[in-house]
Amino acid sequence: MSSKPYIQIEGVRKGYKIGGESLSIFSNLNLQIEKGEFVAIMGPSGSGKSTLLNMLAGIDHVDSGELRIGNQRLDQMGEGARATWRSGCMGIVFQFYNLLPMLNAAENVELPLMLKHLSVKDRRSRVDKVLTLVGLEGRQKQSPSLMSGGQQQRVGIARAIVGDPALLLCDEPTGDLDRKSADEILQILTYLNREMGKTIIMVTHDQQATEYAQRVLHLDKGTFNEELRKAS
Amino acid sequence: MTFITFAIKSAWRKPIRTLLMIVCIATTFMIYGLTASFVNGSQSASGSSEDILGVMNAAGIGQPMPRAYVNRIEAEDGVAAVAYSSRMRGFVTTEQNTVTLSVSQPRQLMAVNGEDLGLTDELIATLERSRDNVLVGRALAQAKGWEVGQTINFTSFTPLSADGGRNLQLRIAGIFQGATAHTDTYFLLGQYDYVNALRARNKDTADVFMVKPDDGVKTGELAVRLDDLFSNSNTPTQTQSEKQFLEAFLRQYADVGLIVQLVVTASFVTLLMIVINTMVLAIRERYFEIGVLKTLGFPRKRIMALIMSETLFVFLVGGFIGLCLAFVAAKFGGATLGLVLSYDILLKSVAFIFGMALIAGVLPTLNAIRIPVVAAFRTR
Repeated sequence: MSSKPYIQIEGVRKGYKIGGESLSIFSNLNLQIEKGEFVAIMGPSGSGKSTLLNMLAGIDHVDSGELRIGNQRLDQMGEGARATWRSGCMGIVFQFYNLLPMLNAAENVELPLMLKHLSVKDRRSRVDKVLTLVGLEGRQKQSPSLMSGGQQQRVGIARAIVGDPALLLCDEPTGDLDRKSADEILQILTYLNREMGKTIIMVTHDQQATEYAQRVLHLDKGTFNEELRKAS
Repeated sequence: MTFITFAIKSAWRKPIRTLLMIVCIATTFMIYGLTASFVNGSQSASGSSEDILGVMNAAGIGQPMPRAYVNRIEAEDGVAAVAYSSRMRGFVTTEQNTVTLSVSQPRQLMAVNGEDLGLTDELIATLERSRDNVLVGRALAQAKGWEVGQTINFTSFTPLSADGGRNLQLRIAGIFQGATAHTDTYFLLGQYDYVNALRARNKDTADVFMVKPDDGVKTGELAVRLDDLFSNSNTPTQTQSEKQFLEAFLRQYADVGLIVQLVVTASFVTLLMIVINTMVLAIRERYFEIGVLKTLGFPRKRIMALIMSETLFVFLVGGFIGLCLAFVAAKFGGATLGLVLSYDILLKSVAFIFGMALIAGVLPTLNAIRIPVVAAFRTR
């Protein structure tokens, strides 16, 4: 019995118009990722890593081709449907954390739960649970501006997983951190992948970060040039 | 965290800017509250009755009519009581101290709108004790600090007697309170016979006849019948409710309502320009955050609700402060300034607050919901 991969990108074209001229990013992109994989994507600047991540996150649309995640065809969804899909099925971790400065740690984590029909008690319980998971118990009320980079990124991860999404997209999650903090963040991601079964796609420039991934994809000029499989 | 808490925290992100917006809004709504209260207050017709009719010269307010009209009006079916009155504007002591003296037959006035003015048999009896006695309205007495027993020198703006004399020595015999706080009590109430005896011109004339209809009589129909009585005379009349009459009377000097409307419109338009501009800039600075929210799955309607709530919050706080200030001014200086802040004004203010918040929030909301996430992230 053959089952479809969790993420399937087939014949995807994507380009931008800049100053009246067309710039092609992907002319025929193909990729398959299985459920529960931890995939690292590397590549030089301008190779299309961020565009790929944006398409996977549903915040940018494909020009043509098929982009399927689970049973959902993102390439056929409108903006509203993609927003709904993001709120339920995907979490995203940013390089610069992107926490809202006027909210404390718990409130930042709670943001995705505001879109769900949950009681205040349930929301608080979930927030406390994920903050404990990332090692920030007792810091609910702390403002992000008073936290270190590593702690802010933990809050960012907690925010990404609080809705219990199956897919976690990480845009250079260790890019702004020192080695020690970076390793701690990568260990949390590994835990989420191995113990909680999250599918993780991580864009990174950090060679050491790829050590934590099961697959490393090298993207260059809009195509995957090589794929290295690592032992899990 | 509730959605409202989130909106308030977002609005409060730049406290100084939000505070300045709130000050602008508070100032505007204070101006609105004060000016509307002024129009509504003692110098307006807010406390006047719609049921009592005023018969005046069709040629214009203040133009005299023969006092003898009173008999024909009284004889008309559906008329319960009639009173006539002449109004004179003048000043007491200094020309800045402008007051209005309304002279009537006290008993007739009592029968027509004694209840509205808060007149009692005792007050009328006191007034009638001497022909130079006057009653002073509560608001005027408070404003001028006058007391019962005091003698005042009223100087008419137009000559009264044949020798050109304009002065009347008047003794304050009592103070009438008015039925409600809205009742116009900013005038002197004198005796017609005293003033009429002095008059060189317009002797035996009245400026207005006040008519109290019988119960169940339609005032509109009665007004038409009264005007028909005098339609072929030298002095045809125009009959309207007391409220309409007083409003028209005030318009002789200045269309206060129109002036206030223009001032308020100008301040509201200016306020809208300030708030829209500030909100557009504030939201533009937060495009990146809007992008983050969209990435987390916030749909357009949530983003719209967030920005609209922020705008509404700023307007509610500012409007509330402004109206509180206007309320305090009306409460403690109302009598002197002639301010009456009514529920109508408060309701209108609330409608303005919501309406203006809606208008002010449209442009920044459209900008926020239109910007694609990818473009929002580029603004960092």
